[in-house]
Amino acid sequence: MKKVIVTVLANDRPGILASVSEAIFQEGGNLDQVSQTLLETQFAGLFIATLTQELSVEELQARLRKTLSPHGMDVLVKPIGEPDTTGVIPSEPFVITCFGPDRKGLVAEITAILARHKVNVTNLRAIFEGGDDPARNLMIYEVDVPVSTDTATLSEDLRTRAAELSLVINIQHRNIFESITRM
Amino acid sequence: MIHDREILTILGMLNNEHLDVRTVTLGVNLFDCVSDDIDRLCANIEKKIGNLAANLVPLCNRIGEKYGIQVVNKRISVSPIATIAAPFGPKGMVAVAHTLDRVARRVNVDFVGGFTALVEKGIARGDDALIAALPQALAETERVCASVNVASTREGINMDAVLRMSHAIKDAAARTADKDGLACAKLCVFANIPQDIPFMAGAYLGIGEADAVINVGVSGPGVVKKAIDRALEADPNMDLGDIAECIKRTAAKVTRIGELIGREVASELGIPFGVVDLSLAPTPTAGDSVGEIFQSLGLISIGSPGSTAALAMLNDAVKKGGAFASSHVGGLSGAFIPVSEDLNIAEAVSKGFLTIEKLEAMTSVCSVGLDMVAIPGDTSVETLAGIIADEMAIGMINAKTTACRLIPVPGKKAGDMAHFGGLLGFANIIHVHNATAKGSFVTKGGRIPAPIHSLKN
Repeated sequence: MKKVIVTVLANDRPGILASVSEAIFQEGGNLDQVSQTLLETQFAGLFIATLTQELSVEELQARLRKTLSPHGMDVLVKPIGEPDTTGVIPSEPFVITCFGPDRKGLVAEITAILARHKVNVTNLRAIFEGGDDPARNLMIYEVDVPVSTDTATLSEDLRTRAAELSLVINIQHRNIFESITRM
Repeated sequence: MIHDREILTILGMLNNEHLDVRTVTLGVNLFDCVSDDIDRLCANIEKKIGNLAANLVPLCNRIGEKYGIQVVNKRISVSPIATIAAPFGPKGMVAVAHTLDRVARRVNVDFVGGFTALVEKGIARGDDALIAALPQALAETERVCASVNVASTREGINMDAVLRMSHAIKDAAARTADKDGLACAKLCVFANIPQDIPFMAGAYLGIGEADAVINVGVSGPGVVKKAIDRALEADPNMDLGDIAECIKRTAAKVTRIGELIGREVASELGIPFGVVDLSLAPTPTAGDSVGEIFQSLGLISIGSPGSTAALAMLNDAVKKGGAFASSHVGGLSGAFIPVSEDLNIAEAVSKGFLTIEKLEAMTSVCSVGLDMVAIPGDTSVETLAGIIADEMAIGMINAKTTACRLIPVPGKKAGDMAHFGGLLGFANIIHVHNATAKGSFVTKGGRIPAPIHSLKN
């Protein structure tokens, strides 16, 4: 048995999840995890499935595309192996928020700093509606900061760059949000 | 995944509404420092506090940075010095005060509390020496805070102690006349003092507490005010029950933050976590005022009719929110109404909305009492003692904590301004009826008996 990840992109409409899950089921796949989101009008779905039939990844992709592409869905299938737990780095969860005027390359600027400090982004929500109203341009990064990272330097680097970009940045441990909201 | 709206709401609380951890207070038990030699006692005290508190300030700063929440004040409270230094006279007590001041400077905490005596039932030799030493100790030190518990629901009011404290306050004011009687801002007279207050000037480590403990004081008048404003903007027809619910929920959130940070500081120091004190304690900053909450509730000003009812609701909602959020809420937990530390309350006094009589009435439902109230410098010892006795009676009869932090400002009269600086702010000196009178009631001494409901066993 092997695991695959099926990625589906489409214009959003009712019935996408039903079509995809039925197609995977018909090919002998058992869904392990599903995550979907909507950005503006676009549907994006990730489906991890365990295959119970002897079927190559290429063959599965071809069959799913044959079923789903006529309905406007782009499908990509990739194999996934067992998770590598040996390289797991002890880390602490933080939440970074940025507000400020819109301009090109904001995500690239912030993520470059995070990457330099070996910080892993686990979730990113970014809304850019344009203009200078901070409420309309917002980035929320949920990140894992390795315990070996110098958080003071990371914060300083982020704050310096944010100031240059006229962004208001907040860097806070995730526990602060969890302790307040999860009572 | 945390919802965006939750993140943004909490960020608003942290960034725009003056939410901070007002104080982390390290309680240090000094009983194992006791010696029959004053020099050895002082050396033991300096060594023990120095060791335990060496990392307190940098640790609080680091944890504050991690959570994006500033720990504004880092403080120390100690066992009541009147018992620790009981064999020594006033001179020895002053020496201990200097030791506490020195070690507070060394570990960089802003205040050390516990220059304290518990005399609700009687004045022992050490208590007598401490009270005698108070004026000099407070005038000669910068960071030492003192408190004397003169009354309790179980024991009644020790009127001899009340009169002694009145003399001590007048003397302390005179010794710091050039600073508008600043020494008195570091001195509280209490009824039913709790053992675990993290706020000054009342903080001391009770005899029933651990060897060392971390108590946290979280404040948030700005957060509560903004929460009320937002709720009323969304629904202008909210009734007071709905508003109380809004305050309660806000208080619960604030308490959670305090507990989170307090537990982490305690854990890193390797000592037990004590309590979160959720008191709405203002600062002299616009937007961080308890007084402004009254205006959000629809009153013209704090002090106008309805203020006592509003404060009762506010205090209760804060306690209920705190009790839900933490199993270890302690200290005072409620609303402080200090005159000088709250811009809005200071203004209410200067405009005549708030009189000392109305303040006293409000203290029957608030957390503390007559707090940071500047009064005319020529207020007689007897009148001062009468004000203290009245406040103690409210605490005694209602089985609650009350306190007096009164400052008879030397050379100044009602309507003048007193400036204390920093967090202590400034205040318009409040009018006291018959300030110079010398009635004999308080000089009769003895103990006002405890009320009948003290017989609970």
